[in-house]
Amino acid sequence: MDREILRRLELLNQLRLTEEEKQTFLEFFNSKKSNLEALDNAVNTQNVERMVHVMPVMTVVREDVVKQPFSRDDLQRSAPETDEGYWCVPRVVE
Amino acid sequence: MKKYTVKTQTQSTAKFVADDMILTKDIPTCAGSKMLDGYVSLFEAEVLTRLADKGYGLAGKTDVGEFSIDLLGETSYNGAIIEDGVLKNATASVIKDGEVDFAITLDVNGSVRRAAAQDGLVSIKPTYGTVSRFGTIPVVCSGETVSVMAKTADLCKEALSAIAGHDDKDGTSLPQSEIDKTKTEKEIRKVAVLSSMLKGVDGKVSEKLNNVCEILRKNGIEVTEIDDSVIALSSAYWAVLMSAECCNNVSKYDGVKYGYRAQNFMGIDELYTNSRTEAFGFLLKSTILLGSETLSTANYVKIYDKALRMRRVIVEEFAKIFASYDVVLMPACSAFAYGEEDMKNTYKAYEENFYTAPASITGLPAVVVGGVQFVGNAFSENSMLSLAAIIEKEGK
Amino acid sequence: MKYETVIGLEVHVELATKSKIFCSCSAHSYGAEPNAHVCPACCGMPGMLPVVNKRVVDYGMKAGMMLNCHINRTTTFDKKSYYYPDLPAAYQTTQWFAPVAVNGLVEIETSKGKKSIRIKQIHMEEDAGKLVHDIREDTTHVDFNRTSVPLIEIVSQPDLSSAEEVEAYLDRLKNLLRYAKVAECEMAHGTMRCDVNLSVRPEGSDKLGVRTEMKNMNSIEAIKRAIEYETARHIDAIEHNTEVLVQETRRWDDIKGKSFAMRSKETAGDYRYFPDPNVMPVVIDDEWFNSIKASLPEFPEVKRARYINEIGLSEYDADQLIKSIAICECFESAYAECGSAKDSANWLLSECMNILNSRQMSYDMLDVDGKALGKLIKLVSEGKVGRANGKKILADMFDNRDIDPETYAKENGYIVSNDTSLIEKVAKEAIASNPRAVNDFKSGKEKAIMALFGACMKQLKGNCDPNTLKEILIAEINKI
Repeated sequence: MDREILRRLELLNQLRLTEEEKQTFLEFFNSKKSNLEALDNAVNTQNVERMVHVMPVMTVVREDVVKQPFSRDDLQRSAPETDEGYWCVPRVVE
Repeated sequence: MKKYTVKTQTQSTAKFVADDMILTKDIPTCAGSKMLDGYVSLFEAEVLTRLADKGYGLAGKTDVGEFSIDLLGETSYNGAIIEDGVLKNATASVIKDGEVDFAITLDVNGSVRRAAAQDGLVSIKPTYGTVSRFGTIPVVCSGETVSVMAKTADLCKEALSAIAGHDDKDGTSLPQSEIDKTKTEKEIRKVAVLSSMLKGVDGKVSEKLNNVCEILRKNGIEVTEIDDSVIALSSAYWAVLMSAECCNNVSKYDGVKYGYRAQNFMGIDELYTNSRTEAFGFLLKSTILLGSETLSTANYVKIYDKALRMRRVIVEEFAKIFASYDVVLMPACSAFAYGEEDMKNTYKAYEENFYTAPASITGLPAVVVGGVQFVGNAFSENSMLSLAAIIEKEGK
Repeated sequence: MKYETVIGLEVHVELATKSKIFCSCSAHSYGAEPNAHVCPACCGMPGMLPVVNKRVVDYGMKAGMMLNCHINRTTTFDKKSYYYPDLPAAYQTTQWFAPVAVNGLVEIETSKGKKSIRIKQIHMEEDAGKLVHDIREDTTHVDFNRTSVPLIEIVSQPDLSSAEEVEAYLDRLKNLLRYAKVAECEMAHGTMRCDVNLSVRPEGSDKLGVRTEMKNMNSIEAIKRAIEYETARHIDAIEHNTEVLVQETRRWDDIKGKSFAMRSKETAGDYRYFPDPNVMPVVIDDEWFNSIKASLPEFPEVKRARYINEIGLSEYDADQLIKSIAICECFESAYAECGSAKDSANWLLSECMNILNSRQMSYDMLDVDGKALGKLIKLVSEGKVGRANGKKILADMFDNRDIDPETYAKENGYIVSNDTSLIEKVAKEAIASNPRAVNDFKSGKEKAIMALFGACMKQLKGNCDPNTLKEILIAEINKI
């Protein structure tokens, strides 16, 4: 990874690293990536199905029933900024 | 430096603590992050409701590292707990001091198991899907499990039986008929030691492993060292899944709905970026960036999809081993104390999860006892805890 | 050179479920108080886990079947990450790898004839919240009521080539989804929204031109204007080099009648999709699949053929009726009750339509009990209630579904009188007070009797068989 990719990654994840952190992270990332590349041929997974869930596949659905136990006041109790029942952010220009 | 927040005195005789990844209604849940400083949940974790219903009293909350992805809790915004130059885990310390009977924790990236191993405690990470994750702070949803830590295997067993069970509110909760399989205990006769998993451990850990093997043999249990190259790949792929899911799960913390908001910003992007940059620590930031990159269009197939396929390969490898052996014995950490050198290394947790990743990536149950770790087949937690009780007794 | 426009649509349709897709909050956000239908899950707080609303899958499947799609019997959910204040979790749960339905086909009809539009896929996902920009100048207000309301996104292949086709396609989607009762599809309510992907190429060419996208269009008229504008802009750019076309997202300003390039973020489109570990794959077994299949409505074309061939309606009447499932259902139960298809169709297409029009309501908003309408039709055709009084009763039935026409007619004095002595009395009075009309009639102006007829009807409050009244009037005049 180079600095340009890292800059994009910071933007994408709404984070900023210090110069020193960037250096440390780049070393870490590149070693992780080359390690994975080195392992790539250790096991051929071409015909292996990916496994997202470790338990057996089962369908889990719920009935379409409305429950509304939480009040807006409670939900906004720890909000940094609210107004007239809305959460607030700086104006988003459309 | 605080270990835990004390709740008002409870009437219950059996007391426990929950770590700060478990949501509580009347005590803040901060996940060790400045981002959630003072955050109080509007609802309680299912495990706590179950324990309260059975008469167990919550004595307080123990601190965790930021979103519990670190070594032992050192990345908490409350600071690391260091005693005599050695890093300590808040939950394990409280248990060791005998203040409560057991602890309920979220095993995200192995810190719970490392802590139990280093402090000579017993911990059980049950089979994925047997304990509800409803009301736990999500980080690595495909692998993290509510776990129990206690002084004895019997206490672990008792607490686990109180919290295990199907929950409709958790879409990954197994049906009760599956969970009931844990009730059938099977005597453990054959233990496999994976030589590839012994890599990197220090003398003391090796010695512990040897001691445990001796105890096992003394009790008529066959211990066989086997060669296996697949299980040891777990941590490389776990790091991929863990970081990607962590990145996604902590993206909701942005200074808008609740939690930390930066003082100064111009516009929405600065609000997000400044809040997250000021509130998050460097290990979490690194994990977010690593995870994000593994999911990028350029890397998805090569890295992320590969990791999902490797998860199946590892699960199948364990199944092969369990066809001939009852459990696998492996270390839980490379050393029994992390010193200053370890603390300087931001990414030490990525190295240490070499030992914890196999059970994390597969969702298999893992018991830590006598400083070592057993990984068993799905639903074998009670069988392993019975084995742990033998080791406990003999180890004294 | 001649050009052709190539258009593909992504249509978002809000499903008409009671609760949201992954939590139990009410899914009816339109017109609600801000943030009244919100819980920790749909405002991005940690700890709640998504559990799929079964009805969303039912409706997703049903929509797929209505559009002739292949249903994926194992369908999965994935996470799509990006930062925007209307997305509280900073990810949207959607279907990227295995959507519920794929490879469909929708037939449309325009002035140029019939055409098939291929459907690439239909996926289920959660809606985003709403941003309000006009409360304070420096602030955007965020409302999460709509967050996690279930949507399906219907993605077409680029098979459409004009505004007319787009309109026909959208009408067709709306019609089919309303037949299946899975969605309201009301653009004005935001329950149907549309992204238009458009490019232009020389006619006959098989190479696609530069594509632009206009997002979140919410009126058919605006979509038509936007397509015409964009087509002209693309052709201009190609022919006269007025500008360099780039692949981009544009905003349609319907007031200015122009599209504008949107400032896009450097990271736009970097969504980092991955399978959601918290949502298990939904496996649709035969039982589930068949139960949905069995619940499908009769398709509009099938209805039309049946109305014409079996019931004997005219093609015109059948075409009018099948425009709306609400009209069809009312027609079918009215017909079952009164036994006359022609009368039922007439009452629906004239009287009911008049009332709907006068109240500025769409066809689909018809909410009259069909069985009661049938009873009313019968009362009128049997001469028990006068036609004008029948219309009055119908208007009242629009306001109150519980009205039984016969009881209501009796209670309100709308029953036709068979008392000829009363009619004769009224006729005599009318004749006495209208000598001029009587003279005119006698001198051969047959229409003059209508003045007498009207006066009598008024006096009798319409409760009189018109033929009987006419006969009595003529008889009484002839007596003079």
